[in-house]
Amino acid sequence: MATAQSERIFVLPGDQIDPSLIPSHPKKALRLGPGLRHIPPNELVPTVAGQLVTDPRKNSIWVEYNGGRYVPTVGDLVIGTVHHSATDYFYVTLSSYTSNAILPQLAFEMATKKTRPNLNPGALVYARVCLANRHMDPELECVSPSTGKADGLGPLNGGMLFEISLGMARRLLMRKSVEEGKVVVLEELGAAGLAFETAVGRNGKIWVNSEKTKTVLLVGRAVKETDEKSLTVDQQKKLVRKLVREMS
Amino acid sequence: MPREAEPSLNERAFVVQALQEGLRVDGRAFDQYRQLELKFGEQYGVADVTLGKTRILVKVSAEVTTPYTDRPFDGIFTITTELSPMASPAFEVNRPTETEVLLSRLLEKTVRRSNALDTESLCLVAGQKCWSIRVDLHVLSHDGNLIDVSCFAVVAALRHFRKPDTSIEGGHLTVYTPAEREPVPLSWLHSPFCVTFSFYGEGEITILDANLLEEQLRVSSCTISLNRHGEICQIAKLGGTPVEAATLLQCASVALNKVKEFSTLLDQKLAEDAKRRNKGGLLAELSAENER
Repeated sequence: MATAQSERIFVLPGDQIDPSLIPSHPKKALRLGPGLRHIPPNELVPTVAGQLVTDPRKNSIWVEYNGGRYVPTVGDLVIGTVHHSATDYFYVTLSSYTSNAILPQLAFEMATKKTRPNLNPGALVYARVCLANRHMDPELECVSPSTGKADGLGPLNGGMLFEISLGMARRLLMRKSVEEGKVVVLEELGAAGLAFETAVGRNGKIWVNSEKTKTVLLVGRAVKETDEKSLTVDQQKKLVRKLVREMS
Repeated sequence: MPREAEPSLNERAFVVQALQEGLRVDGRAFDQYRQLELKFGEQYGVADVTLGKTRILVKVSAEVTTPYTDRPFDGIFTITTELSPMASPAFEVNRPTETEVLLSRLLEKTVRRSNALDTESLCLVAGQKCWSIRVDLHVLSHDGNLIDVSCFAVVAALRHFRKPDTSIEGGHLTVYTPAEREPVPLSWLHSPFCVTFSFYGEGEITILDANLLEEQLRVSSCTISLNRHGEICQIAKLGGTPVEAATLLQCASVALNKVKEFSTLLDQKLAEDAKRRNKGGLLAELSAENER
């Protein structure tokens, strides 16, 4: 975790947050992450139970929790299923029982009116959330608006989708997922000589593809088991060894 | 209106591809059930069954009522199923989905019409008083294969249930509390169980105990209800891709093996529960029931 504090601080919804915990940066404005609510003029209230995390360098504060429902936030990488398409948009399902997100048909790399991709209902896309307001449908994009490059986003072909918890998805997406997120399962599988590719969606999905069906199943099972049984680093290594032995 | 996300094209293609290679997504064998667990409640007639992530709670209750006028010698036996929004937000209260209707009809056919419970034994005073046995089934979590688990739970709960003891003296009916007389079990004739087969491809791939994803992708399914003596109560194959007769015959023999396993598990659990309740071995003395 990016926090400098030695001990973890847990909060419950409606708790008072000790003002000494809130980072104060001379220049940057305070950024509130998920799980916190600002009540004007100057009150911060947690809305979920979890660990309070602060980052003094970015002047940000948020609550880490392993909640059930995905709430889109700008900048999240997500895996969605195309529900249907209209003239200018694809309507994409991010999670069950929520309204569809919209993905403009021109928000793909090198897409013009003539070359835009043709996605059938049920196709998977890896996209970034570019607009997420509380009472509006979120908007997605598969291209970086500044460079015009896809950066790995776009339709996902083949492979299999596995459901994981939101906390696991966040850990897998961390820049230093091994040190900070304590997930080594994918690295270990790669080191065991398996060839596969993955895409992790912040909405609790992981897409795995490989030439061999067995490899896909093995990777999916390893990640899901790590998630469900919240395995430690050593246990993950052991699990990978066991699964690889069973397969060969 | 809340709607469940449907499986993507990738998942559809992959699951079928894997099945054709002889693999299942959760790593089970084709004829392997998930871990089946059965717990009885503190009260008689409460069964809590989990199969993987599917969980079902069944409660049996009894009350004295007047019998139907066209059946004066029979008691009343009803099974009500409820798929609450707790199992999945796609289920709405008071608006039964197709799953719910099929489930309750299948249970009806399996348990009620196969005469597993002897309804004549529920009669107290002909045409005037009888027991009404009511089975309430609640789906707490839905991860596929509701039918098999529900049937197992209903049978388990009914066999675990004890109704208050009664006596009739000079046309006067007395219902005893559990403190006065030990409650008596229902007169149970045989234990039918359901085994559901799911078919894939052109109907040549057969798997048992499909989870929710597999259930959504199957091309057809077939439910066979039978007891451990191999007496088939019903076979339901509602539409879908046609399946070869030889496959169905094979399914029936697989089902028999599975039913024997269920039956053994249930007997064992019932025996364990009876032992737990029978502290000091006094239950036999407390019972006022005559041997049949």
